Amino acid sequence: MAGEFTEEFVDVGGTKIHMMSGGSGEPLVLLHGAGGNAGWLRYVQALSERYTVYIPSHPGYGQSERPEWLETMADMTSFYTWFLEQRGLEGSRAIGFSMGGWLAAEIAVNCRHAFSKLMLVDAVGIKPQQGEIADIFIISPTEVTALAYHDPKQAPEYDQLYGQTPTPEQVAIAEGNREMTVRLCWKPYMYDLRLPQLLGRVNIPTRIVWGREDQIVPAECAQLYHQAIPGSDLVIIDNCGHVPQVEKPDEFVKTALEFMA
Amino acid sequence: MDCYYFTEMPYAEFPESEVDKYPSMRLTFPNTYFDPKKAQDLFKRYLDEYQYAEEVGFDGLMINEHHNTPSCMDVEVNISGGILARITSRVKILMLGNMLPTSDNPVRLAEEIAMLDVISGGRIVSGFVRGIGIESWANNTNPVYNRERFEECHDLIIKAWTTPGPFRWEGKHYQYRAVNPWMLPIQKPHPPIWVPGTGSPETVEWAARNRYTYAAFLTPLDVAEKLFQTYRDYAATDGWEPGPEKFAFMICCHVNETDEKAQEAGKAFLWRMNYPLRGPREYWSPPGYTSRAGTAAVAARRPTPLNEMSYTELQENYHLVVGSPETVIKKLRHIKDRLGVGALLLEAQGGRLSHEDTMRSLELFGKEVIPALKD
Repeated sequence: MAGEFTEEFVDVGGTKIHMMSGGSGEPLVLLHGAGGNAGWLRYVQALSERYTVYIPSHPGYGQSERPEWLETMADMTSFYTWFLEQRGLEGSRAIGFSMGGWLAAEIAVNCRHAFSKLMLVDAVGIKPQQGEIADIFIISPTEVTALAYHDPKQAPEYDQLYGQTPTPEQVAIAEGNREMTVRLCWKPYMYDLRLPQLLGRVNIPTRIVWGREDQIVPAECAQLYHQAIPGSDLVIIDNCGHVPQVEKPDEFVKTALEFMA
Repeated sequence: MDCYYFTEMPYAEFPESEVDKYPSMRLTFPNTYFDPKKAQDLFKRYLDEYQYAEEVGFDGLMINEHHNTPSCMDVEVNISGGILARITSRVKILMLGNMLPTSDNPVRLAEEIAMLDVISGGRIVSGFVRGIGIESWANNTNPVYNRERFEECHDLIIKAWTTPGPFRWEGKHYQYRAVNPWMLPIQKPHPPIWVPGTGSPETVEWAARNRYTYAAFLTPLDVAEKLFQTYRDYAATDGWEPGPEKFAFMICCHVNETDEKAQEAGKAFLWRMNYPLRGPREYWSPPGYTSRAGTAAVAARRPTPLNEMSYTELQENYHLVVGSPETVIKKLRHIKDRLGVGALLLEAQGGRLSHEDTMRSLELFGKEVIPALKD
C-alpha cells in the first residue's frame, strides 16, 4: 500500500531510532510487536488520513540502535517516556500491538501524561489464568506466522508480507528482532505479575481489541486487561487471529477511528 | 599423548521407533519412557566400565553433562566426578564439563570442583562449557546472555580459587557479599581448565587468550586443523607458543579382535550419531545463543550433519574410528600426527554398544592401542 510517509533517524539520549511518520492531524503513535515494524501497511495508511501517525522501531529492532543498558521491558518503558518527551509526543493517542501493547500499558502506568487515549491490541503482559502465551521462541518464524493468522486468505496484504523469499538483509533484521525479544522477554515469558495491579492507575480512555481466535495470546487476556483498566472497553473481532490490523484491516480501522475520535 | 575414556552414559532402553513420534529425542521427548530401575543397572554398568578403563591403562576418564535427554544420563558432572574421585586412584578426571552460563551460583561451583580436587588428590581437569542450545531451554537461562554469563562465572570461579578471601563480587550477573570458600583445590594455582568447541570462533579466541586447552568435538579433521591454527595465531599474537597439551580431539572409537568383528559391533554407535543429534533448529540454537560469526562458522564446518552420514562416511571423516587394534592404532596415529594433539578423548562406549563389547574394547585399548600411541 503506497502511502505518503517519510523515514528518518531521530536521536534519543544518544540512541539513533528509526521512525516512519506520515499523514495529518493530531499525533498517533503505533508501538509494534515482537516481529518489528512491518511497515506502512494499509491500516496505517487509513489511520494517517485522520491522524499524523508515528511508527518508531523500538531500540534493538529493525534499524534502531540498542543502548547498551536497555535489556528489559522496564528499560524499554523508561526509554519511551524519554522518547515521547523529546519528540514532543506526550499526550498523543497510542496503539500498542502484542508486545507493543504490553509496552504501551507499562508506559501508561508509569507516566500518566504520556498518552491521551490508548488502544491495546492482542497484547501480552498479563499472565493468562487458564492457558499459556504461545512460546514463539521455540518454534520457527514460519510456524509463528502460521499461528498468528486465523485465516490468511482474509488478510489482503498476506502475500505482500510473506509471499516472497526474504532478502539476506531482511533475514538479518528478523533475526535481530527475535534476539532482542529474547533479551527482553525470555523469563518470565511475556508477562509481569505486577501489571494487573498497576493498571488500576491508568486514567485515560482505553480500548482493548482482540482477535477471538488468537492462538498466541489467549482471548482471556483481553478480559484480564479489561478488568484491570478502569473504564476500559472491549472489542472482540470474530474469526480473527493475533494480528487484526493485518488480518481484518477494515474492521480494525473502523473500531480504531471510532475510539480515537 | 594422553588417552581419555568417555561415555555419555546413554539410556537406550526403548524402541528407536518411539523417537520418530517427537520432534527430537532431546528436550521434549517424554520422560515417561524412563525407568529408574533400568537406570540404576546402567549406572552400575557404566561406573564399572570407568573403573576398568583405569585398570587397563587409560590416562584419564572424561565425563559430561546434559539435561532432558536419554543420550546422557549424567545430569551433574560434579556428582559423577565425586564417584570417580573415590572409585579410582590414578587417572585424571576430566569434567567437560560444568555448564557455567546456566549456573546461578558460581561460588558453589568453585567449592564443588575444589572438593573434588581435594578428594581425588589433585586429579581434576576442570572443563567449562557454555552448554549446547538445548540447555538454555532445559535450564531456562536466557541464551542472549550465555557468553556473558560464561565469562563472568569463569572469572569469579578463578578468583575464588586464586585470591585469598573474603572478597566482594559485584558483577553484572553475579553478586556476593563475602566470597570466601573454605574448600580450595589442591592443584595450584588451580586445576587445569579445558574448553570444548565445535567451531565458534569466539570460544577458540577465549581459550587461547586464557591459555586453556581447547578440545574439538566431533569436527572434521580439516575444521579441527583450522580451529587449532586459529588458536596458535592468537597465541603468537600474545607472544607464546602452545604445546600439544593445549589441544585435544574427541571422537567415537571401538576396538575389537578383528576388523570384521569391530565393524559389526561398531554399528551400535549409529544410535548415538543419529537420534540425539536430531531436532528443530530452535532447540539447538535458540535465538541469540550463537553470534553472527558463530552462525557462519557453524554453517561452514560440517557440510553434512553427522546424523545424515552413513556408517562408512562417519568412519571416512574420522568421527567414528572402528577396527582391529592395528587399524585403530593407524588411524589414531594419523589424527595425532595431523592435528598435533596432546590428548585423544575416546568415546569408546556409545549408543547401544553392549557391556561385553565395551569391556573387550577397553581391554584391547589397554593392551595394544594405548601403548602403541605412547611410542
